[in-house]
Amino acid sequence: MKHFTKLAIAAVVAGITATSTLAQELYTPNLAYRTGPFAATGIPLMNGQADYLNMLNARDGGIGGVPVNPEECETGYSTEKGVECYEKTKGRAIVTQPWSTGITLQVLPKTNVDEIPILAPGYGFSPMMEGKTFQWAYNAPAGYWDAADMILQYIEGEGSLEGKKIAFLHLDHPFGKEPLPVLEAAAEAKGFELVPIPVGLKEMQNQSAQWLQIRRERPDYVVMWGWGAMNAGAITEAVKTKFPMENFIGVWWAGHDADLKIVGADGKGYKSISWSFPNPDAPVMADIQKHIVDEGKTQSNPEEMSGVFYGRGIVISAILAEGIKVAQDHFGTAEIDAKQLRWGLENIDMTEARISELGLDGMVPPFKTSCNNHTGHSGGWMLEWDGEKFVKASDLLMANVDSYKAIAEAAAAEYAEANAPWPVNEECSE
Amino acid sequence: MGDEKDMLYRTAGQFKTSYEADQALFPVRQDAILLAVILACAWVIFPLVASEFVFQTLLIPILIYSLAALGLNILTGFAGQLSLGTAAFMGVGAYACYKMITIMPWMNPIVAILLSGVFSAGIGVAFGIPSLRIKGFYLAIATLAAQFFLVWLFEKWAWLYNYNASGAIQVPNLEMFGVYIAGPQASSIVQYFVVLFIVSLLTLVCINLTRGTLGRTWKATRDMDIAAELIGINLMKSKLTAFAVSSYIVGVAGALFVFMWRGAAEPNLFDIPLSFRILFIAIIGGLGSIMGNYLGAILIVGLPVVLNLVPNALGIPIGSATVEHLNIMIVGSLIVFFLIVEPHGLAQLWRLIREKLIIWPFPH
Repeated sequence: MKHFTKLAIAAVVAGITATSTLAQELYTPNLAYRTGPFAATGIPLMNGQADYLNMLNARDGGIGGVPVNPEECETGYSTEKGVECYEKTKGRAIVTQPWSTGITLQVLPKTNVDEIPILAPGYGFSPMMEGKTFQWAYNAPAGYWDAADMILQYIEGEGSLEGKKIAFLHLDHPFGKEPLPVLEAAAEAKGFELVPIPVGLKEMQNQSAQWLQIRRERPDYVVMWGWGAMNAGAITEAVKTKFPMENFIGVWWAGHDADLKIVGADGKGYKSISWSFPNPDAPVMADIQKHIVDEGKTQSNPEEMSGVFYGRGIVISAILAEGIKVAQDHFGTAEIDAKQLRWGLENIDMTEARISELGLDGMVPPFKTSCNNHTGHSGGWMLEWDGEKFVKASDLLMANVDSYKAIAEAAAAEYAEANAPWPVNEECSE
Repeated sequence: MGDEKDMLYRTAGQFKTSYEADQALFPVRQDAILLAVILACAWVIFPLVASEFVFQTLLIPILIYSLAALGLNILTGFAGQLSLGTAAFMGVGAYACYKMITIMPWMNPIVAILLSGVFSAGIGVAFGIPSLRIKGFYLAIATLAAQFFLVWLFEKWAWLYNYNASGAIQVPNLEMFGVYIAGPQASSIVQYFVVLFIVSLLTLVCINLTRGTLGRTWKATRDMDIAAELIGINLMKSKLTAFAVSSYIVGVAGALFVFMWRGAAEPNLFDIPLSFRILFIAIIGGLGSIMGNYLGAILIVGLPVVLNLVPNALGIPIGSATVEHLNIMIVGSLIVFFLIVEPHGLAQLWRLIREKLIIWPFPH
């Protein structure tokens, strides 16, 4: 009987949690990962996200007068736990922040049924930019295909791509494979040789075989789609094999200060494309200092707060908060629901003026979402490691979206077909 | 409480008047009643009261993990062949089901799930051939080869995932008699019934198999293979049938895992941590037991979910990451505790409790 009583208890407990009603609030759960193999990169992001929303609560009493509840649900980056968190929070949540590609893949097909918007800033499935097909998913301000295009533009700025050889070092996982279609198309169009070098999940920390291949291939550039322990592994190997760091460029998730601090000055010249930048002088940082840090309400520390990932966490929460604000203004109610937030996220207009009003000066490029465009394509800056910290090494680069619009449309159509019946948003014009 | 249980388990007065009655599945009437209550709960009461959360995080995964552990238990617990490749065989089932469904969309999904086990059975037998020559830990290493090879194959053989750019398989919406039973449109309760039906069916098959000739052959092989050979048991047949039946069940569990629960899968899902998880369920539940798999799955899969809810339900304000850390510690120590109290697993613990209840209040 024992196992069976446990189940009964579980049912009761779950029933209680599901039915408990809470005071007026905007429930924006975050499927965080402060434990597990990716915790080192997760913690600064989660701290930035939480501190920004808690600061809004402390400074303005929330958004539109309603406090935000940025509760975290720990996933440890495990898809199984992610689904558990999703099921646990979806009853009251107005947004899903899935964080891992695995969880995004699970949740994405359910969005049309559960009708809760997914906010996956800078990650997830690149064709999500097709807002007409992916009505409920947002990856603003930029997607992986934008990143691939911007990196190529940057390289092209140093000389023609014709005849060049580019090694594409990537995690052998849906995340790492994301930019391949765009890179392959570009290789065809621009006449460079693309050498994909996968890194298995088990080999993340020991990439000697991959770097041996890189030494043998002698590529002009190494472009990296890495995450977690893979980045530190690749950067230390690059230093060890004396690969010229200035020709080593990572995606935004491969631009974590702690990974570079391991090699310090030896990592000088390493680059990472990014749609966010930590600006310690931005007014928002002062507000966080005053309302959160000085009150002892942060889990972060000064070193972490000056880093790229903490700043990115702030930007992510700011995008969410802006979506909420837009929806509140449009629907004339402070307590918006998931459907209204979906509209809000679709109508974000982050102009330079609005960014400044929010106190985010220099932390994110301007972007605008629309019914048909769920990514916003903000563009990004090339950041460069100067031996101690990341600095901006380029002006704002803008992705040439037209060059892969057709690929995105085809991928979106294919997804809709594979998941039929899949309703598309007919209200989207164009 | 004691009195009540004593009354519940009094076997006095239950006379057997035929050999058939003595050989019945439940010689003690109370066992049959208990099972009836559990089945009534599973088929009627849970579906009526469970929320979507309970379906998705407790009922469905516990059943699927139990089935996978049952498959492993046939091989390891009944036939004594150690295996570390369970997750890979689950993967074969899942990918086989995916390919069948995408090549033949008209196929009945339940038939596809049941057929997908045939593919994993074939692969399982192939990887079981070394068991004819090697035993114990050495065999475990041979099955580990299956684990590494198959996961590599799932990654590299793009045909398996229909050349999807991200290398993952995604379950389409599948209809049966006008109701969605798989994919994002399917409701949890429908998926639960499909899982429950298949798990009940295969459990019944396994109970009968392990009680019959085949089961006795397996047990003889497990207990001492040379002695078994001497009394005329064909070891090759015994070991390979164990691999086939085990892999079939594990393959079906894998198809259920992806089609009835996860909805999507990437190759590394079927990597070694999943194999270990299922092995732990089988060991903690009790090797050589059918019921143990369910008890083990409840402890390993269900308990952490319930523990995660406790602080919130009691209104204790602690961070979600802290809860996760505590959870790992509590579940870990519980595993150690149960194995110290009863090294032969939860099933043996239940067996002892039951025996004590039957003779209560007399010590002998």
